[in-house]
Amino acid sequence: MTLEGGARKSVMVANGNVSGPLARAWRGLQKTGVAGQIVCLVIVMSIFAIGTRGKYLSWDNLQVILSLAGIPAILAIGVHQTIVLGGIDLSVEGVAGMCIVFVGLLLKNKLNTNDVGLWIVPVVMGAGGIAGFLNGLVITRLRIPSFISTLGLSWILAGIAVYINKATTVPLLDTQIQGIVNGSFLGIPFIALIALGLALLMQTVQDKTRFGGYVYAIGGDEQLAQQAGVRVNRIKIMVFVIAGVFYGLTALALCTQLGSAHPRTGSNILFPAITAVAVGGVALTGGIGGAKNAALGALIVTALNEGLVLMSVSPYVQQAVNGIVLIAAVALTIDRRKLGFIK
Amino acid sequence: MNDIGSSTNSEVTLALTGVSKVFPGVVALDKVDFSLHSHEIVGLVGENGAGKSTLMKIMIGVSQPDEGTISRDGILISPKDPSDAIRHGIGMVFQEGTLVPNLSIMRNLFLCHEPGFQKLGFLSRRAMREAASRLMEEVKVSADVETSISDVSPAERQMVEIARLLWLSRLYGQKHPVLILDEPTTVLNDGERTILFDILRNIKKEASVILISHRLQEIVENTDRIVVLKDGKNVTELPSANARISEIEQLMVGHTFSADRYREDEQTPAGAEEVLRVENLGRRGAFEPISFVIRKGEIVSLVGLVGSGKEEVCRCINGLENADTGAVFLKGKKLLMGSPNGAVRAGVGHIPIDRRNDGLALGMSVAENVNLLVMNRLKVWGFVSPPRERKNAKVWVEECRIKTPSLGTMCANLSGGNQQKTVIAKWLSSKVSLLILDHPTRGVDVGAKEEIFRLIRKLAREGIAMLIMSDTLEEDIGLSNRMLIMKDGRFVKEMACPPGKKPGPRDIIDAIV
Repeated sequence: MTLEGGARKSVMVANGNVSGPLARAWRGLQKTGVAGQIVCLVIVMSIFAIGTRGKYLSWDNLQVILSLAGIPAILAIGVHQTIVLGGIDLSVEGVAGMCIVFVGLLLKNKLNTNDVGLWIVPVVMGAGGIAGFLNGLVITRLRIPSFISTLGLSWILAGIAVYINKATTVPLLDTQIQGIVNGSFLGIPFIALIALGLALLMQTVQDKTRFGGYVYAIGGDEQLAQQAGVRVNRIKIMVFVIAGVFYGLTALALCTQLGSAHPRTGSNILFPAITAVAVGGVALTGGIGGAKNAALGALIVTALNEGLVLMSVSPYVQQAVNGIVLIAAVALTIDRRKLGFIK
Repeated sequence: MNDIGSSTNSEVTLALTGVSKVFPGVVALDKVDFSLHSHEIVGLVGENGAGKSTLMKIMIGVSQPDEGTISRDGILISPKDPSDAIRHGIGMVFQEGTLVPNLSIMRNLFLCHEPGFQKLGFLSRRAMREAASRLMEEVKVSADVETSISDVSPAERQMVEIARLLWLSRLYGQKHPVLILDEPTTVLNDGERTILFDILRNIKKEASVILISHRLQEIVENTDRIVVLKDGKNVTELPSANARISEIEQLMVGHTFSADRYREDEQTPAGAEEVLRVENLGRRGAFEPISFVIRKGEIVSLVGLVGSGKEEVCRCINGLENADTGAVFLKGKKLLMGSPNGAVRAGVGHIPIDRRNDGLALGMSVAENVNLLVMNRLKVWGFVSPPRERKNAKVWVEECRIKTPSLGTMCANLSGGNQQKTVIAKWLSSKVSLLILDHPTRGVDVGAKEEIFRLIRKLAREGIAMLIMSDTLEEDIGLSNRMLIMKDGRFVKEMACPPGKKPGPRDIIDAIV
């Protein structure tokens, strides 16, 4: 006496009677939940490996890809949670600009005598977190959709940041953090390891804690989640706070990598981050995809761009390719059954 | 199952005494008493609007009674909301479901009650899997507990909901959980239905069940006792063991209806001209091929229970769904299937059941809504002319007696009845030849109902063909020239309803159930 569900049938077909190492590998891959993204990465890398006659797969180039992917991955891990929640966070650039101003003021630099050293890490995390808290308050208390409220906060913070800093470039003299951001361990860039660590941490929170589960419940159906007893507003605020903390870290990494702090340093990071999140398979309708998707998405986009650079493709064509990949990735990942009208 | 003796011997676990609830203009419940014993399955029956759902909502704390008390094992309770009700061991499986679709069965089962599975802040997947698997075994669901809800069948979802409620009752230490099932079988096929009742019989060892269903057969077969509600009052209750379906039907329908309410004397005979011709229209899984004709000025009622396929027939005619077989002709011209736009252009009007979402642009004014379909006619040199807009809107607002402060009033601010009249005005203005009315009087007060009946008669006099699905049988009988009866997706019977010689509800109910 069994009730037949459609899912099991399809799983049965997929598992089928096919055996052999390839089928087993594919099944193992599917269990990770990011099979599509890994296949996509392999395809991208194979194309460039052929296109550059193997140069693309050289250790030097792989190091470059990993070091370039680190910061976008950290940012994507931050942004993606707000999308899983069913909202979006467009305040990335404003929050990053604000945090960079703190870095320029407090970290050892050419313009003043401050030097907080490693304490800058909690400072930017705190600043980002407070910005996220503001986002959360505006969304839950004033009941303004996250698209608008976070866009508004982005303008506010970006404006204040430039005003305080008077649009000057602050050359940074600190070597400690720069050493971490630009350094490597066993040849693997530190920043990539940090991103990996954060991805694992966030993924664990998503899979293994009540908080993580509630975020998905809200993303799936906010009203039902509330009925079940989820404290929707509290969870929303927490998600935006965590996202803000990630933007703070992103901002710190960005300006220490450059060796200078200018509030506009982070002014072109929002859309690449959302592209990465979408390419990674996080549904913009909410409730689907995790930190591993976001990090992989960033890696795919970086690997793609690095390949195009290596093949000396015009930057404008690169942009166009990015656009194609974005639309293709979303077309492959969204579940159209759940969409009513496409706006 | 019909061991009435054992259940009457057991104690009363849930009792509602003298419960009343008044909504503006309607007395939904009038001093209703209801009691439930432990280890008992009670069937709650009544027509639409008899007060069944209000009673349920009071039990689970969605609404609060104006009068009367609720007691649980002898102690007075007043549940504030569903999560409060479940603490008292009262839970309901809703028709629309309350599971979050993107979460797994396991996560849904324990949503918001996970602390028992937590170690040092992290959830133990193994412990959750074990508990979930055990629960799924109890309700005989074999899907892996980490399958997401959107991938399991409606039957399995229902089982997951039942399991969740049982688990929560245990968690809160309730010895006699109460499960309320609202029309659980409408989404199930025959096999699944049998399984559901098997499981309920099993659950009876632990819990009591309140079963709401329109299918009287399954109520009689699977319950211990039947409670009949009518017009918000207790009619009677009887043991299921020797209940006859015809007897229950009579209790449900009860009184004879007044003919003049539906302006029967104004009923006009059908014209000669054929307006709608439906030929072998069929949709797999919804209804078997059906053919019928509606003539000029004729009102035809489509009668049947929820799940009889009548809604789907209408949805296929007005293009909201695509049929698998057959064709629809309007005045001899074949309609493009599956295209609401095509249907409207051809002259098929549709008054939807959910006027607030589907029938009106609530944020737009009365005038804008009335003119929505006739913008082309209101143009002067290619631009919509405001004086013409006002003129057209004024004509139809007066014609339909829409009570509105001004033509510019937002539709959201009108009463339900006037909103409905605005929907009708919109279609009248666009000169439709066929109008599909989906529960046109749902949720409107008595006065507005009369007005809507008057409008319907007027439409018929003007030669508009109408296909109606009503809230009550009386309304169907009273309004229509002819009734088409559907059951389980099949057309079963046609009945003429000439003025003065209308059939009674009892004649029809046999064919429906």
